[in-house]
Amino acid sequence: MRNKSKDKLISLILEKKEDFYRLAYSYVKNSEDALDIVQESIEKAIKAHHSIQDNQSVKSWFYRIVVNTSLDFLRKHKRTSFVDENTLDYYSSGKNDTYQNIDLERSLEELPVKYRTVIILKYFEDLKIHEVAEILNENNNTIKTRLYRALEMLKEKME
Amino acid sequence: MDNKIKELKKQYKNTPIPKELDSTVHKALHTRKKRSTFRAKWFIGVAAALCLFVISVNTSPALAQSLTKIPVLGSVIQVVTFQDIQVENGNYHAHLKTPQVNNLDNKDLENSLNQKYVNENQKLYDEFTQKIEQDEDGHFLIESGYEVKTNNDLLLSIGRYTEEIQASSATTLKYDTIDKQRQIMLTLPILFKNNDYINTISEEIKEQMRQQIKEDPDKIYWVDNAGIEDLDVVDKFEKIDPNQNFYINEDHKLVISFNDYTVAPGYMGVVEFVIPTEVIADDLVGNQYIK
Repeated sequence: MRNKSKDKLISLILEKKEDFYRLAYSYVKNSEDALDIVQESIEKAIKAHHSIQDNQSVKSWFYRIVVNTSLDFLRKHKRTSFVDENTLDYYSSGKNDTYQNIDLERSLEELPVKYRTVIILKYFEDLKIHEVAEILNENNNTIKTRLYRALEMLKEKME
Repeated sequence: MDNKIKELKKQYKNTPIPKELDSTVHKALHTRKKRSTFRAKWFIGVAAALCLFVISVNTSPALAQSLTKIPVLGSVIQVVTFQDIQVENGNYHAHLKTPQVNNLDNKDLENSLNQKYVNENQKLYDEFTQKIEQDEDGHFLIESGYEVKTNNDLLLSIGRYTEEIQASSATTLKYDTIDKQRQIMLTLPILFKNNDYINTISEEIKEQMRQQIKEDPDKIYWVDNAGIEDLDVVDKFEKIDPNQNFYINEDHKLVISFNDYTVAPGYMGVVEFVIPTEVIADDLVGNQYIK
């Protein structure tokens, strides 16, 4: 029974590793630290997989570890946002034409972390309200109002 | 706003993935024991080979039997899980739970209710398999289940919910309320003397909506005279359906329920209004059910 949750966990990590990386990256904004967070999250999860309850969603459980590890990282390190070499190369290679949307991206960056997190989890990771609630250890209604506030704030910033 | 979110999502999904991610993940997975190397590979193999898992658990017969053995005066009317189906297929997930009402003496009522519940989930399941056939690369999640809202000496109220998530999510709730003594299904028209209840309840709900909007800036309902902008672009709430979704709660109060998007923006979800009994007292046939 126990190993079932571990198998589930491992297949989830392998399947969604890019999602988890992107989520970590959205907090720390550089690939080296994001990789460290992914690694640390996986190690934590493997060590603690016994604590997954039978009826608990492994997905929400692991997302929660990634979010918390990212937040811990931000707390430990000063929140400086800079672009690392990899990313710079990527953007300057012209693979991507996001430059005209820098303002849009910035308005998201400017949101307080807790509001940004709900937007990312709900709209970018396509999670359900109750999953976001599970990940952030809040109730559904809190997440709903937070999401609504986040959208309002975003709207204001873009005007 | 939707477009902006889509744009942001696109940018987010464009976050470059460093080639070191794979090795980092593998390193992290294998720090503990070598054994997991084997298991991880094995699992990918199986996951690739098996594209469909169907787990069907039928909990009801054993549970129902053990429950009926408990000697209680009269019959114990109960609700058990008849069927629990989970399907996982790539980005498609379905989790459907079907309730079953047991021990009603009125077998016609019992059968028709149970058949209805089975049909509801059958329909969802068909819809789900159809979605998979249409588009293998899509995303779709569907969940259904039930909740017993009230179960006392007189009344049984069962709610069934369905949540569908594709691009956005939609939740629907349906209720059945049964008089356990007379063994009949209650409807709003049965509870009231005449059709006046439609207006009485509608006005009460509008008043509650306005009050809630005033007290909490996060709340929005499509109701007039509440300072809501852009009301003309949506169907504002005028009145309830004569057979509007309802149940009677443990406090013997009438509760009117609306599915998401019907009277409020989607983020408000499913909304309910408890109707104070004094408001409808004159319209009620009696005070047996609603007090």
